[in-house]
Amino acid sequence: MVLKSYIARNTFRDSVYLMRLSNTVRGFDGVIEAEVIIGTDHNKKFLRSGGLWTEEIEKEAGSNDLIVAVKAEDDQKAEEAIKGALDELNRAVEREALVGEFVPRTFETALDNLPGANLALLSIPGTFVQREANKILDAGLHVMIFSDNVPLEAEVALKQKAQKNGLLVMGPDCGTAIINGVPLAFANEVERGDIGVVAAAGTGLQEVTSLISNLGAGISQSIGTGGRDIKAAVGGITMLQGLQALINDRETEVIVLVAKPPDPEVAHKVLEAASTSGKPVVINFIGGDLEQIKKAGCEPAGTLKEAAYKAVNLSRKQNAALEIEDFHPGKEAVDREKKSYKEGQRYLRALYSGGTLAYESLVMLQNRIEPIYTNLSSDYAKNIEDVYKSREHTIMDFGEDEFTQGRLHPMIDPALRNNRIIAEAKDPETAVIIIDLVLGYNAHPDPAGSALDAIKEARNTAGREGRHITFAAAVCGTDRDNQNRKEQMQKLEKEGILVFPSNADMAAVVAELLE
Amino acid sequence: METLFKSELKVINIGLESFAETLKERGTEVIHVRWQPPAMGDEELLNLLDKLK
Repeated sequence: MVLKSYIARNTFRDSVYLMRLSNTVRGFDGVIEAEVIIGTDHNKKFLRSGGLWTEEIEKEAGSNDLIVAVKAEDDQKAEEAIKGALDELNRAVEREALVGEFVPRTFETALDNLPGANLALLSIPGTFVQREANKILDAGLHVMIFSDNVPLEAEVALKQKAQKNGLLVMGPDCGTAIINGVPLAFANEVERGDIGVVAAAGTGLQEVTSLISNLGAGISQSIGTGGRDIKAAVGGITMLQGLQALINDRETEVIVLVAKPPDPEVAHKVLEAASTSGKPVVINFIGGDLEQIKKAGCEPAGTLKEAAYKAVNLSRKQNAALEIEDFHPGKEAVDREKKSYKEGQRYLRALYSGGTLAYESLVMLQNRIEPIYTNLSSDYAKNIEDVYKSREHTIMDFGEDEFTQGRLHPMIDPALRNNRIIAEAKDPETAVIIIDLVLGYNAHPDPAGSALDAIKEARNTAGREGRHITFAAAVCGTDRDNQNRKEQMQKLEKEGILVFPSNADMAAVVAELLE
Repeated sequence: METLFKSELKVINIGLESFAETLKERGTEVIHVRWQPPAMGDEELLNLLDKLK
């Protein structure tokens, strides 16, 4: 077994490209393990802990370099693997030269080449965001900031500047938006229609827009604000701008707002604007005070699913209202699951890729099962000490910072969550394991298939010790998404996994299983 | 904002190339910027450069 490395100096590639390239290199003949990764100190530690480390990496690689690290059966295979990696790295550059395809390196050059550009989508490391976003706003473009780890002061400064200039800053940490029917970053292919959404909650936006589309209505605009927008420090600038834009928009007849409960002064401003809008506004302040919303003359919704149904019914106007359909596997199936647990099996392990969905479950399950431990910030549950080890009922968000440093979001790379599914099955106290599967653009091409492998292994592990575990999945997406929602659901149903078309449906049944 | 809703979306994508790829596949006009940390990520140099502008 041989360990070899190569340092590609002053070379930078984005994280998704590097993940794909690493996978390609792992597939080369005779390669045991491989990583192509940026030479930051953090990543060097990661390589070291994974046994993919050489002195050359330690001494020679800097944060502007790419490390190619390979563990292979012998010298020759290692060399070939490294050569293969470099060929790939150089190929993109060659292709540009060959095809005459010009790829700009700066925003300024891009603007020269696309002078009618009206929106920039930024997904660069957080420390550089303010600088780039300022340039973008100065050029008169709206900006969507996918990046996180952007300082709060930067967010406030950018949003105040944007507001003065009638421009929109969606983010930071904004994972999803749909503008003029165009899905941006993680978003679903939805029907176009007259319902507009503003959300400070990524998977909240995805769940609501997907459900609305699946119920036969459509989306005019879907504006993401980033999770911090509704805090007092930011003042809800983007939520208020978005709300106003939808009020003024001729195509929008019904408005939906989704967020965790805003800080009181922001909630007040939002409710005031909504109440005088002249259009019906459905509001889901997840876990928030429904009375406050009713008093403002708006339509409160306790769950994302309810928000979708209410919006669709307001949109249908004269047509008969849709009754809320609850998806339930049937009393027999639930009883059967409950009877199958061995003595000692009593806990929920909820493993989420979408933060809003995790939060919605937490809100729905508090007061019904306890104690709940979580890595979400919440007033409802206890803070989990070790994010890698569940305790009693546990609800985890795998999209949180502690899991995504130097790694891709779990909606793209589900490896960490899959490993956790297997780990939970080893715990004799685990009775129920639930996950969310988010479809749509830029998500994993086969979320159900990927989870299924892990679930099968988990089942075998538990089965060897005579334990049955209930597995459940909520699929978030539309019938127009590339992953083929029906097939995704059937794949899991065939294997005896409880499958739900919404997170709220799944949480309701979980409560029944464990109360 | 009203202008944005009435115009065709034309996107400048800076960062993850896959975001631009999916937009292209869908037929949205998009240009991708192969972004690199300016001044090789050296903060001191960056600050100096900014002062020069």
